[in-house]
Amino acid sequence: MHHMLHIKNGIVIDTKNGIKAEKMDIFVKEGKIVEESEIDKSQCKVIDASNKLVVAGGVDMHAHIAGSKINTGRTMRPEEMRMVRQIANKFRASVGRVLLTSPAIGYEYAKMGYTTSFEAAQPPIGALHTHEELDAIPMVDKAALPVFGNWHFVFKYVAENDIEKLKTFIAWAIERTKGFGVKVVNPGGVEAWMYGGNCRSLDDEVPNFGVTPREIITSLIKATEELNLCHSVHLHCNNLGNPGNFETTIETMKLANGFSNDKRQVLHVTHVQFNAYAGSSWRDVGSGAAEIAKVVNGMDNVTIDMGAAIFGHATAMTGDAPFQFTLHKLLGARWSNKDSEVEGGAGIVPIMYLPKNPVHALQWAIGLELGLLVESDKVVLTTDFPNGGPFTEYPYVMAMLMSKKMREKELERVSPYVQKAANLPSIDAEKTLDEVMHMTRALSARVLGLENKGHLGVGADADISIYDFNPNEIDTSNDYEIINKAFRNALYTIKGGVIIVKEGQLVDEVWGTTYWVDATNKVDTEAIEEDLDKYFELYYSVEKEHYGVEEAWIKNPTRLVMG
Amino acid sequence: MLVIKPKVDFVVTVEAEITPDLAEDLEKAKNFEVYYGKDKVKLKELFEITKEGDDKKLVLDGDFSKVKWIGCRMEDGEIVVKGNVGANCGAYMKGGKITIEGNADDWLGAEMSSGEIVVKGNVKNCVGCAYYGDMQGMKGGKITIEGNAINYIGEKMAGGEIEIKGNAGDFIGTEMTNGLIVIHGDCGFVGGDMKGGEIRIGGKFELMPTFKKSEEGFVGDVNVGGKGVVKTL
Repeated sequence: MHHMLHIKNGIVIDTKNGIKAEKMDIFVKEGKIVEESEIDKSQCKVIDASNKLVVAGGVDMHAHIAGSKINTGRTMRPEEMRMVRQIANKFRASVGRVLLTSPAIGYEYAKMGYTTSFEAAQPPIGALHTHEELDAIPMVDKAALPVFGNWHFVFKYVAENDIEKLKTFIAWAIERTKGFGVKVVNPGGVEAWMYGGNCRSLDDEVPNFGVTPREIITSLIKATEELNLCHSVHLHCNNLGNPGNFETTIETMKLANGFSNDKRQVLHVTHVQFNAYAGSSWRDVGSGAAEIAKVVNGMDNVTIDMGAAIFGHATAMTGDAPFQFTLHKLLGARWSNKDSEVEGGAGIVPIMYLPKNPVHALQWAIGLELGLLVESDKVVLTTDFPNGGPFTEYPYVMAMLMSKKMREKELERVSPYVQKAANLPSIDAEKTLDEVMHMTRALSARVLGLENKGHLGVGADADISIYDFNPNEIDTSNDYEIINKAFRNALYTIKGGVIIVKEGQLVDEVWGTTYWVDATNKVDTEAIEEDLDKYFELYYSVEKEHYGVEEAWIKNPTRLVMG
Repeated sequence: MLVIKPKVDFVVTVEAEITPDLAEDLEKAKNFEVYYGKDKVKLKELFEITKEGDDKKLVLDGDFSKVKWIGCRMEDGEIVVKGNVGANCGAYMKGGKITIEGNADDWLGAEMSSGEIVVKGNVKNCVGCAYYGDMQGMKGGKITIEGNAINYIGEKMAGGEIEIKGNAGDFIGTEMTNGLIVIHGDCGFVGGDMKGGEIRIGGKFELMPTFKKSEEGFVGDVNVGGKGVVKTL
């Protein structure tokens, strides 16, 4: 139920509005944050937040929470489903160790004070499935990013150097899939994988199409910027998961040179931990995080997210099908390959990160290095759930970024290989609480182009989390245990003005919205109609008329028309 | 020693992870929480519990065929079941002994690492197997079955011994890496994807075509470069 809320005497951190741990009151009406004058105090529910941290709800801008990949992961990992988190009562049953069921995803985010999560790779032909699963996730606002980097239409228009048609196609495809932006996964590489190959460098030619990853990425950035979509191109780089790949990553980031946008980055490079390896083989693999950080810090139009690796169980699942096969061969673990017709593919492989394994320890270190060395305004905190580990471990990552003491303690239990191959042991930097709140809220919202998220200014969505400590009294360097614990169980989570979590326990269930972006007003889809008809007739297993998702099929959609 | 008797015929299954540890404290045993269907109830609500003597032992008197997970994760002591027992009996068991005077259900001794299970009657499927998705089944200890068993015996078995005095069904020692399976009677397909360990069979059986004959018996499964041995008793 919607109450008017008066959150009293909280210690607010709101980096977007320049509020640094100041005692202030927040007022909520009809799901939005409002001025004090708009509230009728006689009807208002008061929450006493004295000496507690009050921040905007967390925004996870890259996680795999819905669609065929996580669902295949669930199917092939029955052992993941033995952990019962909650039996059905007022709320639905919630199960899963790392690969959570849909209700569990919503509930676990809410308990942590996160209120928004984006599915980062939606196979376009699987859009309906993705949206049906998103509709089964309670508590959070959500959206899905369809993948473009291996779609035959994209290759065709890039090869013809026809940016107008590429823009038209993007607008058409995002509308049809009810997607949010342009995700690119190993551009060209997944197509090459159809023939057993890969595109590991920016200049490897895509078989039969005569285009290169460099051209694909550049054209997609250009088209996305001309359409001025909410979110920039969201890129999973080529050559992921291979020693020495940090150079490919840096070269890729430089493709953003020459593009600019007043509101946000023009290129977001995702889960960079998996793309930040130095060395020439797994025997001499090292960290390339410092070099990458230098490049990102020197550019003003590129952002990244960490993709931190967490020790314990995880499941690798990406649209990067060739990499998943490499991983399967490397680990000897189960493997599932997915094919999405002329759009790309995916793979799923179970993995467990072990502290004593030199490579896993290095991955763990690199994720943290990226979080520490990259400026806080350019790196978002993620684990690339469930690739690097569960999102439920974000509090661990937060605490690690803020405390060298905690890192030193953790370093004692990991493989000594990180001492020589990684920078982490020599990094003294500690992020401040403000910076970490920025990396999990205001920055991720800005990266996605969500103006009403990630802050507590008047007009923002009333997505608020309150944590059980006073930011002005806590010593983040030494009190890492308090930090790690407090961020796991929010004192309150408020979603759209409704209190959904109190003292770490669920108290109410809400259904967030699914954002989708409509840019069809900026193009004339007539221009590509003939190509669409031809491709659907020749290559697709479905008719064009049956392709895509209608808005009415989504539980609670929000259409964002691009201006 | 505790004697535990069902009070009623159960309508749905009971999930009771009871171990001989309960014998130490009658009050604790009475209030031990179990699931009756989806409801959490106390052991005393479903069973009559009496204490006789101080040994670390449970005597389950009556029909326990709808009671699952008996002796799950037990480390020592003894459980005697006077009748039949439900699924997952002795799963993940680390020590002690379970004697079942009647029949047992599926997943007997699944993933057990030590201890002993004796069944006087018959057993259903998945004896000493790995639960779906796990990498290793039974790792140690011994399971003896006086009667027959059905399919899947010692799948992914990595140690210990399973002895079946009667007959068994198909898929014996599939993906087995170590340990011993002895079947005195007949059985079906044996040793698919077997990597190590030994299977001895008294009666008739069907061997996969991927085993090579040698002095020891049949060695395979060659499809996975296995060194498992299948031979007659």
